[in-house]
Amino acid sequence: MKKIEAIIKPFKLEDVKEALNEIGIKGMTITEVKGYGRQKGHKEIYRGAEYTVDFIPKMKLEIIVESSMVEAVVGKILAAAKTGMIGDGKIFVLPVEQVIRVRTGEKGNEAI
Amino acid sequence: MEKGELRARRAALKDLWRQGLNGRSLLHKHSALIDDLMAQSFAACPQTGNGLALVAVGGYGRQELFPFSDIDILLLHALDDDKLLAEVASAVFYPLWDVGLEVGHSVRTVKDCLADARRDFFFEVSLLDARLITGSADLFSELTSMVQANFVSGLRPRFFEDILLHRTERLQRFGLHSYMLEPHIKESRGGLRDIQAMLWTAQVIFGLRGLIAMEEAGLLSAVERLGLETAWDNLVRIRCQVHYMCGRKNDQLFFELQEEMAGSFGYDDSGALLGVERLMRRVYGHMQTVAVAADLFLEHVADVLGRAPAPTGAVVADRILEPGIELLNGRIVLSDPRLLIKKSTIMRIFLSAARTGATIHHRTRKLICTHLHLVDDNLLRSQRAARIFLEIITSAKQPLSVLETLMETGFLFAYIPEMKKVESLSQYDVYHVYTVDFHLLHTVVELHALRQEMPEIFRTMACQQVLFLAGLLHDIGKGRGKGHAESGARLAKVIGERMGLAKRETACLTFLVRHHLYLPHIATRRDLEDEVLIHHCARHIGDIQRLAMLYLLAIADARATGPNAWNHWKAALLQELYLKIAHVLDNRLILRPDQRQGVEWMLQRIGELLGPEAGKNLPSLPDDYLLSFSPEEVVHHMSFLPDLTDQEVLIFPEDQGDHWSLLIITHDRPGLLSRICGTLALHSLQVFSARIFTWPDGTVVDALEINSVFEGGYEEQDWQGFGRDLILAVNQRIGLDHRLSRKLPPQRRASTMPATRRPPEVVFDNETSDGYTVIEVFADDRIGLLYEITRTLADFGIDISRAKISTKADQIVDVFYVQDLQTGKIRDLDLQEEIRRELLHVIKF
Repeated sequence: MKKIEAIIKPFKLEDVKEALNEIGIKGMTITEVKGYGRQKGHKEIYRGAEYTVDFIPKMKLEIIVESSMVEAVVGKILAAAKTGMIGDGKIFVLPVEQVIRVRTGEKGNEAI
Repeated sequence: MEKGELRARRAALKDLWRQGLNGRSLLHKHSALIDDLMAQSFAACPQTGNGLALVAVGGYGRQELFPFSDIDILLLHALDDDKLLAEVASAVFYPLWDVGLEVGHSVRTVKDCLADARRDFFFEVSLLDARLITGSADLFSELTSMVQANFVSGLRPRFFEDILLHRTERLQRFGLHSYMLEPHIKESRGGLRDIQAMLWTAQVIFGLRGLIAMEEAGLLSAVERLGLETAWDNLVRIRCQVHYMCGRKNDQLFFELQEEMAGSFGYDDSGALLGVERLMRRVYGHMQTVAVAADLFLEHVADVLGRAPAPTGAVVADRILEPGIELLNGRIVLSDPRLLIKKSTIMRIFLSAARTGATIHHRTRKLICTHLHLVDDNLLRSQRAARIFLEIITSAKQPLSVLETLMETGFLFAYIPEMKKVESLSQYDVYHVYTVDFHLLHTVVELHALRQEMPEIFRTMACQQVLFLAGLLHDIGKGRGKGHAESGARLAKVIGERMGLAKRETACLTFLVRHHLYLPHIATRRDLEDEVLIHHCARHIGDIQRLAMLYLLAIADARATGPNAWNHWKAALLQELYLKIAHVLDNRLILRPDQRQGVEWMLQRIGELLGPEAGKNLPSLPDDYLLSFSPEEVVHHMSFLPDLTDQEVLIFPEDQGDHWSLLIITHDRPGLLSRICGTLALHSLQVFSARIFTWPDGTVVDALEINSVFEGGYEEQDWQGFGRDLILAVNQRIGLDHRLSRKLPPQRRASTMPATRRPPEVVFDNETSDGYTVIEVFADDRIGLLYEITRTLADFGIDISRAKISTKADQIVDVFYVQDLQTGKIRDLDLQEEIRRELLHVIKF
């Protein structure tokens, strides 16, 4: 099992969700996050007021899938989240030791 | 009584409840049932004569025993025999414990009681409700007379202080956001505890028991008393149901319980509101009734006891504010009630409160409540009254206090009758923690806060009153089915016209209400990098003042919604959108201060790179060009200048991963961009964006973002061939038309969804940019289209300085910043029409 973490542009969330739905991904955790990478924050003065953006708003998705699904999921996210501009985000794939469904106690792929 | 029998009787009681037994009867029967059990258990104990009494205290003492409430029992004794006491206590309490009931038990002498009551206010008030279940009447009456003597007689003010103190503490604890969404039926503001506080106070201070006695003594009006009774009955019913649904002592109406309760009380989803929303509306309505009655009553008692009012901020000396309206002890008092005949008097009372920041005296508040019939159509249509009203909501020193009083007295609903639909209206989600009416008040309060936090934005506004009115009205369309912003806008128009606002102001108000969600939606759901989008937003909003108002309204709205609706994340997105639109609206050609710094920094860096000699003779480069490249790139471009012949065209393609950049340096000539576009099309390259920079000496630097229409890689592209053709095309040595026409058929993409296509469109905009006319072209995409559009524009003698091409589902949106070579902006409407027709012709071709 793998955990796929994707940082994407906020407005791409719906597209990504839809794309993942197409390949049967029914669950994910999303978080509003802020950060920076190549796309940096900036400062701007407008009409006498200073506006600083230290960190740029992004959306973080976390999806747990069977290992065999990783490629498909990553492919879908790549295609859906891409604008071609700076700040399109990143995808991380991490190993997952165990998944347990709280209600039933099911483990492993059953619990995904 | 057997354990089984007690269970059976409690179950029978639950059945009766299901069949529709009313709440208060249930409490009574439940209490009687426990009384029976206690009497039986007590009778079975060894007889002790006058030494023992079983006393019910607290809610049980009042015979208000909720299904799973604690059963508070006091075993009152005058014995020394510990063993006997222990025996009685087990005989009495064990049966209750055995069936799993929560028992608040104590074994005390009268002396113990008095000592404990001194230490513990809650025990003290629970003794006020003490009731003898069984046992020695003498002992019990000793207790009650001692309580009377020790805690009531002569100590009334102290008792009242305690009541107020505990109420303040309670309201603070249960006034948190989580309790707004999920009201605590007992402890929240307007909960059963508030009724109890009134009753205890009446009992101790005035010796009155019950609401009817209070009404007869003139402490409550008949209307108030009836309202309280109804609210009380309903809250009891709800609390009983919550207990039964949870199967335990829980007094908070949790979110997940609300829907089930609505179902069991017969609220269905048939109307514009969900059943659960109608239920919660009732709940909030009743709690509001109780809260207002409790406030008024407790303030009255404070007056009677000569207690100084709670400080409301500024301490000010008594004075007459205007004839008949005075400031007394920090409160606004209508000293001459006859003035109420004048229709504007009530409005002026609120104005005084707004200007001074003082609260309105409770007697004056009551007067307002009973004179709402004076708020008639004439007042609603009075322009003078409207101006006062706007001053109240825009300039109040203590906005929350004034607004709450406006609402709690009912004046707000009388003055703006359209607001009645949102009174106590709740929305069934975890997002909106306030009922709509309170949310509207809080939005106005947030606007007041924003005026402190963002004074710069407020300074750009000529008139703030429309913004504050929009804050008060923005959700007025809720509870009327889908599309609350739209229906709200229609209502706002009616209200604005009735108040006699200027046409322009009403239009602005309507706009704000209709589009109060516009910015948040775009900010979180759309690509803010998309210049076309920003440009559309700017056109949609129209001017900088409206943008500022819309932005502030969006922030205030979100902050007044609840803790989940607003955070730094959303703030950052909304701010980005605001600034981007603001720059478009303000004036794209004037550099922002940080850009000005950027230009100076660039010139300095370029000077350094070129060395002291060349640096002095820098050509004057356009600002937008300087801001688009790095110093090294500029120096690189400049290095070609000496050798650049008139015919030469230099191209610098570069692989950028997902797209290719193409830099073209050449000398300016008419139709240059169209020839470039044509040659690109010839080589199956499509353009995403183009920026054209013209230097004063006629050198042109074009920066394009392109891609191949094929899957082919960057390496496979025949750049040499492209360069050759480009030179020929620019120097008019090849005929692009016939070559493209031969090439086009196989390249034309078949449109997959003709049904969703929108007809081609050409839009002129002279507002957005100071120096340029902006032309937007919507069309179905095909190779060579850009060539044809740009050539057409060139034929009209129109110079394109920027182009941005975005493709969405086979449709392209081209945005061109253009100038007519002779006149600058294209203002002539006939010429615009001619260009539009010509463009539509080539698009369709």
